[in-house]
Amino acid sequence: MSESVVHVSELTRRFGATTALASVSLAMPRGAVYGLVGANGAGKTTLIKHILGLLRAESGSVRVFGLDPVADPVAVLSRIGYLSEENDLPGWMRVDELMRYSRAFYPAWDDGYAEELRQAFALDPAAKIRNLSRGQRARAGLLIALAHRPELLVLDEPSSGLDPIVRRDILGAVIRTIAHEGRTVLFSSHLLEEVERVADHVTMIHQGKIVLSAPLDDIRESNRVGERVPSLDEIFVAHVGRDAAPAPEA
Amino acid sequence: MPSPALAIAWEFRRRHRWGLIAVTGYLFVVASIRFLILEPGEPVLVDSIRFAAVVSVPLTTTFVYLLAVFSFGFAGDLAARHSMYPARMFTLPVTNAALVGWPMLYGTAAVAVLWLAARLFAVWPSGIDIPVIWPALLAAALLAWTQALTWMPYGLPGIRLIVAVLCLAALDTVVLLALHFKAGEPTMVAILAPQVPLAYLVARFAVARARRGEVPDWRGMLARPARNAVLTRRRDRFPSPARAQAWFEWRRHGRSLPALVGLLLPFELALLWLAKDAPAFVFEILFLALITPPFMAAFTAWTVSQPNPQVRDSYGVPPFIATRPLTSAELIAAKLKMAMWSTLAAWLVVLVAMPLALEWSGTWSVVTEHARRMDDAIGTPRAATVVLLILAGFIVATWKQLVQSLHIGLTGREWIVKGSVLLTLTLLILLGPTVEWIIDSPSVQRALWNGLPLILGILVGIKMSAAAWIATRLDRSRLLGDRALVLGAACWLVAVLALYGVLVWFFSTPFVAHYLLALIAILAVPLARISAAPLALAWNRHR
Repeated sequence: MSESVVHVSELTRRFGATTALASVSLAMPRGAVYGLVGANGAGKTTLIKHILGLLRAESGSVRVFGLDPVADPVAVLSRIGYLSEENDLPGWMRVDELMRYSRAFYPAWDDGYAEELRQAFALDPAAKIRNLSRGQRARAGLLIALAHRPELLVLDEPSSGLDPIVRRDILGAVIRTIAHEGRTVLFSSHLLEEVERVADHVTMIHQGKIVLSAPLDDIRESNRVGERVPSLDEIFVAHVGRDAAPAPEA
Repeated sequence: MPSPALAIAWEFRRRHRWGLIAVTGYLFVVASIRFLILEPGEPVLVDSIRFAAVVSVPLTTTFVYLLAVFSFGFAGDLAARHSMYPARMFTLPVTNAALVGWPMLYGTAAVAVLWLAARLFAVWPSGIDIPVIWPALLAAALLAWTQALTWMPYGLPGIRLIVAVLCLAALDTVVLLALHFKAGEPTMVAILAPQVPLAYLVARFAVARARRGEVPDWRGMLARPARNAVLTRRRDRFPSPARAQAWFEWRRHGRSLPALVGLLLPFELALLWLAKDAPAFVFEILFLALITPPFMAAFTAWTVSQPNPQVRDSYGVPPFIATRPLTSAELIAAKLKMAMWSTLAAWLVVLVAMPLALEWSGTWSVVTEHARRMDDAIGTPRAATVVLLILAGFIVATWKQLVQSLHIGLTGREWIVKGSVLLTLTLLILLGPTVEWIIDSPSVQRALWNGLPLILGILVGIKMSAAAWIATRLDRSRLLGDRALVLGAACWLVAVLALYGVLVWFFSTPFVAHYLLALIAILAVPLARISAAPLALAWNRHR
C-alpha cells in the first residue's frame, strides 16, 4: 500500500437511488500516467472527488500518499495539482493575481516554471479570468495545477476545456515530463484516443464499476486478434458494449 | 406548457414557491388579526412600534423580496457589467417584448396585489386616510424601473448599483415632494402611471442590447492604472496561506458592505439639512445612519456564505476553494477576518461622514447640547460609557450580522438554507402579533418579567449545551486542535467577563440582580453559531 500514491479499496458511493461507484478498488503506482476512461456519468468525476477528499467515503476507504484526504486535507491537497472539469477559477481575479494567490499555498511553487508556463500558454498577466476564453481559462487552471510541481497531478476531463493544440502539443509533453520525474498523473477522459496517446495504465469505468484496469500494453496484448492490435476504442466497446461507449470528439 | 407566457410564469412560481407561500402566509396572518381578533368597527390605535412590527417591516421586506424575484436578482451578479437578465433565456424563440413584458407584467401585478391586499387586510390606524391606487402604482413603478436598470448592460463593474440607487431614490424623492405639497390622488396617479410603460421601453432596449451581446466597455479608461498596479503588486508575496485566503475573501466579499453604506449614507445624512428646525428629527436621522451598517450587513451576509452560481452544484463549495490546502477552520477564519475588516471599513465611513454632515448642516449644536444634558444628568464617565457601549454594540451587531448565518449557508444543503429562510420569515410574521399581544396584556408582561431569570437561564443552558456539543465535534473531527479550542474558549470568557464588568458598573442598582447581568453577558457574546461554521463547511466540503 505504501508503494501506491492512491489506494482505493471497496469504495461504494450512492446518490439517492443511483449507485455512482460500486465496490471500486484500485492502486495507482508512483510515476505512472493513469488514464481513467468511461462514458459521461460512468463515475470518473465521483472517483476523482473521493481522491481529492471532496466526497467522503461512505463505504470502503481512500488513501492518498497513505493519508485520508478527508481527515487530513492540508497534507494531501498541498501535494496535488488539480485541473477541474468545471473550470471555476474566480472570474474577478487577474492572471497575475491568480498566480500570486496560488503561490501562497504551495511551498514548492516554482516562480520560474510558472512564468515559463504563462508564456507558453500565452496568458496576459493583466487579463481578468472572466474575460478569458474557455480554452484560456483552462490553460490558467493548468498553470496553477502544474507550477508547484505536484507529486500527483489530477486532470478531470481536460479535453472539455483545453483546445486541441494545447492538448496535443503541450499537455502530452507536460504529462510525459511529470512521469519521467517520477511523479504521478491521473487524468480522466471520454476521449479514448487521447488516453491511448499518453497513458501507460488504463482503468475503464462503466456504471460505477471498474470493468478493466491494467497497463495499456497488457490490455493491447491481451486483446490482440492475430497480428492486429485493436484500438482502445474497440477494446472499450468490446467490454461495455457500443451503447455505453463514449462519443468520439466532435 | 401551452405558451411562453405560462412557461415564464411557471418558472417564477416553481423557483420561488416557498417564498411565495410565506408571503401568502403573512397576508393570511394580518387578515386573521383584522377579521378574527379585532371586533368589527372597533377603533384601532396603533403606535408606531406595533405598526412597524406588524405591517411596515414585513411589508417592506416582502416588497424587497419580490423586487429580487422578478428582476432575477437571486441568480444575477449585481456588480457585473453584463445584464442580470438570464442569458439562457435569450435563446428562447420569443420576442424581446415577450422576454421583458411577461416578467414585468407578473412583477408589477404581484407588488400591486401585495399593496392592495395589505391595504384591505392589514390593521391600519383609525382616522388616517390610507390611499389605495397610487401606492400600488408606486410599487409597480419601482419594480419596473428595478427590472429595467438591472437588466441594462453597463460599461463598468459596479455602475449598475449606483445607477439603480440614484434612479430609484429620485423617483422616491419626487413622490415625497408631491406628498409634501399635499398632492391629491389624481396628481399622484398622473405622476406614477407613465412610469411603468417608460420603464418597459427602457427594459426592452436593455434586453435587446444584452441579447445582441452589446456590453459597453469603459474599462479602457482605467486600463493604464490597472496595468501599473499589476507591475507594482507583482513583487508582493503573501506571507502565509491564511493571509492569501483573507485577501481572497476581502476581494470577493469584503467591499460590498462599505460600498453599500457609502452609497446610502449621503442620502440619509442629507436629511439633516431639512432637520435644522426640528431637533428631535436630528436624532432620528442619526439613528437611521447608525443602523445602516447592521441593516445592510443583514443583506450582504448571504454573499459571505454565498453559493456559487457559476458551478454545477450551486450550493456546494466550488472545487477551486474546496481544493485549497487549508483546513475548514482556516477557511472560516479568513471569512471571519474579512467580516471584521468589512465592518470596520463600513463604520469608518459612518464615523467620518456623520460629524462632517452634522457640522456642515449646522445641526452639530443639537448633538452637543444633548450630550451636555446627558453629562449633567449621569456624569461624564457614565455618559462616555453609554456612547462607547452603543457604538461598540452597533459595530459588534454589524459583524455578527455578517457571520451569524455562516453555519447555515455553508452547509450547502438546499433544504437547510431554504428551511432557515422560511423559518425566519415565519418568525418575522409571528413577531408582530406576539409583540402586540405582550404590549396589550399586562398579565403577560408580569409573567414574563417574573420568569425572566428562568427564560434567560434556559437560553444560556441551550447555548452552552450547543457550544459543548460543537466543541466536542470540532475536537473529534480534528477540525480544531486542543490549543485552538482552549484559546477560543478563553477569548470568549474574557469578552463575557469584560461585558459583565461594564454592565455591573453601569447598572449599579439593587433592582437588577448581578446574576441576570451575567446571563445577559453570556447570551450577548457570540459563541455557538460561529463555532459551528467550520463543522458546516467541512460537512459541505467533504460530502
